[in-house]
Amino acid sequence: MKTRLICLYTPLFPLAARLRSEPELAGVALAVLEGNGTAARIIASSRRARRAGIHRGMSLAQARALLPKITVRARDAACERAAQHSLLEISEALSPRVEDAGQGVVYLDAAGLERHWPQERELGVALIRAAERAGLSVRVGIAGSKLAARVAAEQAESPTLVPAGDEARFLSPLPLSRLLAEARILERLESWGIQSIGQFADLPKNEITSRFGDVGQRLHRQARGLDSHPLVPHSPPVTFDEGMDLEWPLTSLEPFLFVARAALERLCGRMERRGLACLRLETSLHLEPDGTHERSVELPTPTRDIKTLLTLIKLDLETNPPGASVIGFTLRGHPDRPREAQLTLFGPTALSPDRLATTLARLFTLLGPDGLGSPQLSSGHRPEGFGLEPFAPTPPPDEVREAEIQGYGLLAVRALRPPIPIEVIIDSRPLRVTTPMIEATERRPRIEGTVRVASGPWSLEEGWWSQEPIDRRYWDVELSDGGIYRIYCDNRSSDWFADGIYD
Amino acid sequence: MPPNLKALREILPQLETARSLTRRPRRDTSRKSRIEALDALLDNGFEPGDLVELVGRRSCGRFSTLLRTLAAFTGRGEAAALVDLGDGLDPGVAASAGVDLSRLLWARPRHLKPALIATELLLNAGFSLVVLDLGSPPVPGGRGHEASWVRLARTAQKRQSVLLVSSPYRASGTTAQAIIEASQAQVRWRGSGGSGRSPKLLDALGVELRLAKAIGRGPMPPRTLEWRSSHGAL
Repeated sequence: MKTRLICLYTPLFPLAARLRSEPELAGVALAVLEGNGTAARIIASSRRARRAGIHRGMSLAQARALLPKITVRARDAACERAAQHSLLEISEALSPRVEDAGQGVVYLDAAGLERHWPQERELGVALIRAAERAGLSVRVGIAGSKLAARVAAEQAESPTLVPAGDEARFLSPLPLSRLLAEARILERLESWGIQSIGQFADLPKNEITSRFGDVGQRLHRQARGLDSHPLVPHSPPVTFDEGMDLEWPLTSLEPFLFVARAALERLCGRMERRGLACLRLETSLHLEPDGTHERSVELPTPTRDIKTLLTLIKLDLETNPPGASVIGFTLRGHPDRPREAQLTLFGPTALSPDRLATTLARLFTLLGPDGLGSPQLSSGHRPEGFGLEPFAPTPPPDEVREAEIQGYGLLAVRALRPPIPIEVIIDSRPLRVTTPMIEATERRPRIEGTVRVASGPWSLEEGWWSQEPIDRRYWDVELSDGGIYRIYCDNRSSDWFADGIYD
Repeated sequence: MPPNLKALREILPQLETARSLTRRPRRDTSRKSRIEALDALLDNGFEPGDLVELVGRRSCGRFSTLLRTLAAFTGRGEAAALVDLGDGLDPGVAASAGVDLSRLLWARPRHLKPALIATELLLNAGFSLVVLDLGSPPVPGGRGHEASWVRLARTAQKRQSVLLVSSPYRASGTTAQAIIEASQAQVRWRGSGGSGRSPKLLDALGVELRLAKAIGRGPMPPRTLEWRSSHGAL
C-alpha cells in the first residue's frame, strides 16, 4: 500500500497565531513585528494591511507612513507555541501518527483513514473545518511524500490532492529553490543550467551521489517524490500551555483576569478535544522589567470549568500578588482523565461526574484545601484526630436495597475541635465546671454548671515517643445546664479541657 | 331549607380547604431515616425536595439523629453530604454509627455564609441528602438571611434532594416543610461507681421529638426514642 501523507500548512503563521489569541483583531489592518527598536521588521501582515502596500521586511516607520492607523503586535512565542499545539491536537484527533514540523506545519499519516473518509477531499475539508473551529485558518495538501504534500498545501486552492505516484510530475515544474535550502549546492546546479526540480530529478542518481554525497542523494530522492526520512511521530505533551505577551503592562488584577479567561477557554477547549481535564494549573507571570512570578493551584478533582479555574487564579493572586507590572503570562494545565461513572437505571441516583467535579472545585475555592473531603479514620486513639481524602464515592449498587445499619442507635459525640479549656472547681460540693473568662469572650460554646453525675476516669496515653505526646484522664459529666460532656485533664500540664458533647 | 343552601350542602364534601392546597401528595419515593420516631413524625420518612429542620439544645440527640440519617442514606448506596459548621464530626464515631464514609462528603466551613453557599452547591450537584449542621451556640453568623433559606428550599425542591438542617434554634424561617423539636427526656447512668463496685457509666439518652410545624398536615403526638451510649453496650 502506498503512503499517503497530509500536510496542514498555516499561511502567515505568526499572524494567524496572534489572531487566534486575540480574535477581536480579525478584520483590522494588523502587522506582526520581529526585532527591537529601529531594527524591527514586519514578518506578517493581514490582508487589509497588504492591500495598503505593507509587506514583509518593512520597518514600522515605513508601514506607518503608508497606513498611520495600522495595529501592530510583536511576534509572540507563547501564542505560536499554543497555536502549534492546537494544530497537533486537531491532527491527533484524526490520525495516530502526526509529525510536528513547526511554524504552523503538521504532517499526518492518512493510512487507515479511508474507512472514515473514503474521499480524501472530504478528509481535507474536515481538517480545515476543525482548524477553523480552533481559530486557525489552514490549508491542506495530500500526497505521497512530505515535500509534495507541503507544496500542495501551499496552493491557494485548498485542499489540493496529488494523485498517488504523481508526486514527481507535480514537483517537476517548481523552481529548484523550493527543494534546496543550501545555497552552495543551488548555485552549483544553476551554473550547470538546472533550473527546476524536474530537471534535477532527471539527472543520474549515482552521478549526484558521487558529487554531492548523502545530501545530494537525499535531495534527489525528494525531487523524485520519494521521502528519505519517514514520518517522525509526535509525542503528546504532558502539559497544556496557553499564554501571550501583553500589549502594555498590567498593574491590576481585573484586566489580567479578562485576558486570562480567553486563554483558559482555549486551554480547556484543547483538553476537551483530548478527553482530559485540568488537575493542576500553573500561572507564570512575566514581570516588568524582568523576572517571573510562578504560582500553582491544585484541584481536588479534574475539571474544565472555566469559572472555577478563573476564581482559583483570582484568589491565589489576591493572596500572593506579583509585586510588579505584568507584561505577559503563561497558563500551564496539568491534565488528568476526568471521572467517569456508569449510571444505573434501577439503583440509587448517582452523581454526575462532571457536575461533581465542578462542585468540588468550587467548594475547594470556597473552603480551602482543609475544608473539604471524604472523612477518614486516623490511626491512634486521639479523639480529635481525623483524615481527609479527595471525595471519590464508590459507584452506587445496581438496585436500591435497605442495608442493615451497624450501630444500634448509638449516642454520638459531637467533637469540640479544638478542645475548649475549662476550669473544674473541686473545692466546692457539688463540683463545678466553668469556662475561663478569656475563653468565654471567644465565639466558642460556653460550658458552665454544677456536676450532677460524673463517670471516670479513663486514661489515654499515646505517642510518648513523639514530639506531641498525650497523657489524659477522661470523665463523662452531666452538668446542671443539661449538657453531657466529655472532659479531660492533661496530666502533663494539669489543665482541663472539654473535647466533646454527647448529643 | 332554601334551595341555595341545600345545593351548597350537597357540594360541600367536594370542596377543599385552603390548608389542603399546600399538601403535596405523598409518593412512594420517600426515604426513611431508619429512626422510627422521626419517620413517623415525617409521615413515612423524608420526601425528596423537603427542607426539614431539627431544632434542639445541647445533648438532645440532634447529632445522633443526623448521623443515623446519614447512615441510612449512605447504606442504601446514595451519596450524602454533611456541611459541618460546628466541625463536630468525628469519623470514628460516624463509622460506629453506620455511616459509609466513602459515600460521605464532609465540608467544614468556618462561618454561616460559606456554609449556606456550600449547601446550595451540594444540592445543585445532586446529592440525595445534604445535612447542614449549625453546631452548638454561638453559631458564627447567627441565623443568616431569610433569602438564603428561601434559595436553599427552592434548590432542594428543584433538585429533589432532602435538606436536613440541624440547629440549636429555629433558623430557616418560614421555608421548612417540617420542623422537629428535640428535647432531652432523661439521661440514664448505670453502675454505682466507687471502689470495689461497678463503675458508673453513661448508659442512654432519652429524647422526645415533637412536630412543631408540618406544611399541609395536622398536629401529631410527640414521640420518644433512646440513644444508647457505646459504654452501655460493653
